[in-house]
Amino acid sequence: MTEAVENQVEEQAQPEEKLVTLTIDNIEVSVPEGTVLVDAAKKIGVDIPVFCYHPKMEPVGMCRMCLVEVGRPVFDRATGEPVLEEDGSPKIQFGPKLDTGCTVEVSEGMVVRGYTEEVVDARKEVLEFLLTSHPLDCPICDKGGECPLQNLTMRYGPGTSRFIFDEKHHAAKHVPLGEIIYLDRERCIQCARCTRFQDEVVDDPVIGFSQRGRSLEIVTFSDPGFDSYWSGNTTDICPVGALTTADFRFGARPWELKASASVCNHCPVGCNTTVNTRREAKSGGELVIKRMMPRQNEYINEIWMCDKGRFAHHYTQSEERLTQPMVRNEVGELEATSWEAALDLVAEEFKAASDGLVTLAGARLSNEDLFNIQQVTEKLGGKALQNTHMAGGELVASVGVGQGSNLSDLGEGDAILVVASDLEEEAPLYWLRIKQASERGATLVVANPRDTKLSSKANYELRYSYGEEAAAVMALLGSISPKTPGESEAVKKLSRGQEVKDAATAISEANNLVVLYGNEGTGLATSQSLADACANLLVATGHVGKANNGLIAVWDKGNTQGAYDMGLVPSEDLAADLMSAKAAYIVAADPAGDDATLAEAIKAVEEDAEKFLVVQELFLTESAKLADVVLPVQANTERQGTYTNAERRVQIFYPAVPAPVNVHADYAVAANIAERLDLKLQKVIPAQVMAQIAETVSDYAEVSYTKMAEVEEQWPIISSEDVFYGGTSYENEQGMGQQLQPASQGGESPALSFAQVADAPKVDGLLAVPVTRLYDRGSTVVPTELLSERLTPTSVVLSPDDAEKLSIEPDAEVTVKLNGTETKAQARIEAGVPQGYVLVPRSVGIALNSPSPVEIKA
Amino acid sequence: MNALRESYGQEIDQILAKYPDDEKRSAVMPLLFVAMRKDGYVNKQDLEDIGEIIGRSSTDVASILGFYTLFHDKPEGKYRIQVCNDLPCALRGADEYLDNLCDNLGIRPGETTEDGVVTLEAVMCLAACDKAPMFQVQDYNGVAYHENQTVESTMQLVESWRAEGGKDA
Repeated sequence: MTEAVENQVEEQAQPEEKLVTLTIDNIEVSVPEGTVLVDAAKKIGVDIPVFCYHPKMEPVGMCRMCLVEVGRPVFDRATGEPVLEEDGSPKIQFGPKLDTGCTVEVSEGMVVRGYTEEVVDARKEVLEFLLTSHPLDCPICDKGGECPLQNLTMRYGPGTSRFIFDEKHHAAKHVPLGEIIYLDRERCIQCARCTRFQDEVVDDPVIGFSQRGRSLEIVTFSDPGFDSYWSGNTTDICPVGALTTADFRFGARPWELKASASVCNHCPVGCNTTVNTRREAKSGGELVIKRMMPRQNEYINEIWMCDKGRFAHHYTQSEERLTQPMVRNEVGELEATSWEAALDLVAEEFKAASDGLVTLAGARLSNEDLFNIQQVTEKLGGKALQNTHMAGGELVASVGVGQGSNLSDLGEGDAILVVASDLEEEAPLYWLRIKQASERGATLVVANPRDTKLSSKANYELRYSYGEEAAAVMALLGSISPKTPGESEAVKKLSRGQEVKDAATAISEANNLVVLYGNEGTGLATSQSLADACANLLVATGHVGKANNGLIAVWDKGNTQGAYDMGLVPSEDLAADLMSAKAAYIVAADPAGDDATLAEAIKAVEEDAEKFLVVQELFLTESAKLADVVLPVQANTERQGTYTNAERRVQIFYPAVPAPVNVHADYAVAANIAERLDLKLQKVIPAQVMAQIAETVSDYAEVSYTKMAEVEEQWPIISSEDVFYGGTSYENEQGMGQQLQPASQGGESPALSFAQVADAPKVDGLLAVPVTRLYDRGSTVVPTELLSERLTPTSVVLSPDDAEKLSIEPDAEVTVKLNGTETKAQARIEAGVPQGYVLVPRSVGIALNSPSPVEIKA
Repeated sequence: MNALRESYGQEIDQILAKYPDDEKRSAVMPLLFVAMRKDGYVNKQDLEDIGEIIGRSSTDVASILGFYTLFHDKPEGKYRIQVCNDLPCALRGADEYLDNLCDNLGIRPGETTEDGVVTLEAVMCLAACDKAPMFQVQDYNGVAYHENQTVESTMQLVESWRAEGGKDA
């Protein structure tokens, strides 16, 4: 009795996992209790071959490839003592048959043998069975060269088949599961990795098995086929060439590909990627990008990536790219010129404009670009703006998640609040990792005006009306600390009800708390009060300044946080700022293309002979067409730089392909302008720009390319030699990046203002609110033809009630009267859209920056 | 919105009542029976309707449909004659019987007569080896055994279906 109590005490004192020691292939290893043999073996470099097992999914033991001999120590039943051999070693009893290494968990003293004749024979037999119905078309198979079945057959398989070739199973070889993923039914070995991934991991069960036995086949009944943002990942984990992407199939052989590390900048997650390139005759001997693959980073994207990141890279090698600097000539046309002439003119005009310079930069730029651009602007005393409608960058710098955070650490006892975000649409990987945290037992509170994909995982769901985002968070805070001042009507209304009180209790009792806010229905002003409210909640509950606690802004662009850190702020009235400019320097942004009112402002700048407009861009955008000088730049696949993600992890991306001749990186162009303004900025090596950033921006003092390039051992261990274990995601050999310390972690107490809480705006008619869709029509997405059918059309989304009132049929064309403009759009009808509101997806052709009254006409 | 629910609302409610609220997916089989009874097969709309009722994707419902050989996903004959020609039945003349039946019906196994009354299928063991040649008939409402058959007795049965005009299947 006493002993048992003591043991309990010990367990409480040491919450560490219990370790179990066993011997695998004569090597002793200690692993946590509950580990399966395949994983335990992997830890000591012993590869037990698998097909159906995947370290990120639950084992199913379907394929039988991982059969091994398993022995356990024998205990004397009478005494409970281990039975010993004559030599004094413990007697081991092996099982009568082989066991599957993917389902058997480790136990103390276990002995596993994966090299014996019996095991090798079993592997050979499993492979022989698989090959009876698998075509030998490796020479034309996309997986050839990185195929587990091919590799394992070479290693263990039979050289010839005992089965009759003519009786071989044949099936359809080009089955489109939608237009993105193709299925080869002959090659499928029915391991169910893809169906399990879609069901268990990403909760999109849109592919499944139909029929049985030899007729078993993968089917999809969704519309469009294989309707998931995650479909590309199934091609990575498919252990044969059954699933291929339309983008890469028949495009290249894996061994011809060169790999360069990169970081995706489509959203603020910052997924680590690998760019696969090939020099090929059909592209005129150029080095071209063949595919984008995930690269392991267990802090960020694990081994996954979304389809937008995977496929929307074609813009970087578009024919439409700008390749020469241009200036407007006497007859008013843009004419190619030399860099010298263009830069001299820009510098001269900037100098003349002096503090009348207004710079507008887009946050797909790297930190180095943004820094140099900001420095040029600061030198002249101009305004450095960034193109965003989300506020709170300085709050994230102050109370963002602490250094050492990893969303994978969140689980039982922790809480996560996601407010004003359709998370899978805004940042797919954050959706996945929050979903997983909830499955590990973290309490998930989702506050949003309508259902999103995350709702089904929420422990508490809070509903508010668009415009009451901050009020919803303040209602939570009010339930925790009743002294919250200045309560508005909205807060009082939202504080009623048990759900908010229970959610508040869960938050106040949580060990760790992470708050994510997005931009569902918010404009700059509401975003600011929302960010304030979130920070208030975190500070009031003491969840700041430490790892796995703090604020994450689900930014609208890839490097918005970096832009804030480099000192670029959003404009409260961009049209007015542009109108007031003597010279405008627009980089990686297209205000004229985004918004008709801004186009007017830019035209005014252009038409005024006194004023000067410079556009630094990849493409001849609407803004560039109006510019006095257009400066071409390199795409992020052609150069080096860093992005800061929403968790303030700074990461390096590397060049994958050479840039067009005579085209430079944004930081270099800015540095060349600076040179002409007697400002010395680094322009050759981005690491040197970072050194200058480290000197200037205190939060980045510790950041260096060397430290960002440091790697850590990660679990699961994936590497190119044994693609059978984890799939074809790339190993991370180029660095985990560096997570910045928020000011609150450095001991600084955050200076906070109480959130300005507004009530929901009252309008007579309908209110249009901006929302985010992953597949928008941004200039970096549209050039990818593969996604063209899935891009969100120019559309508005109505509630069924409002649609009925206005007699609007689903998908009918309607006229949208908004902010003085009229646009034709498709009307979508979705249950769950609150009555009285019209959702307007961003970047699909209707400009809307903050909630505005709207008129919809059938 | 949900056509299946509109037509069979009460029956579907009764089926759902048998399962706990968080295990509605268990109702998939009886719901597939309901859809089958409608016109002898389950169409794509039915898959979506059932998926909506039990809160699963239509692909999930389709994989269950595909697993079972007595569920069908395309329209065929109103009566399916499923002849067992496994070894014990073959020893009692099932193969010869099936061949003759094919000649009489003018179709091969897997095919449907032109008038849409009969679909002929060769199937695995039906557990009536001692009464072969035998077959089971699947119509919209379920299955029935017909044992110790001759081609003549079978053709009589087929003619009786044809006389009914194949209506109340």
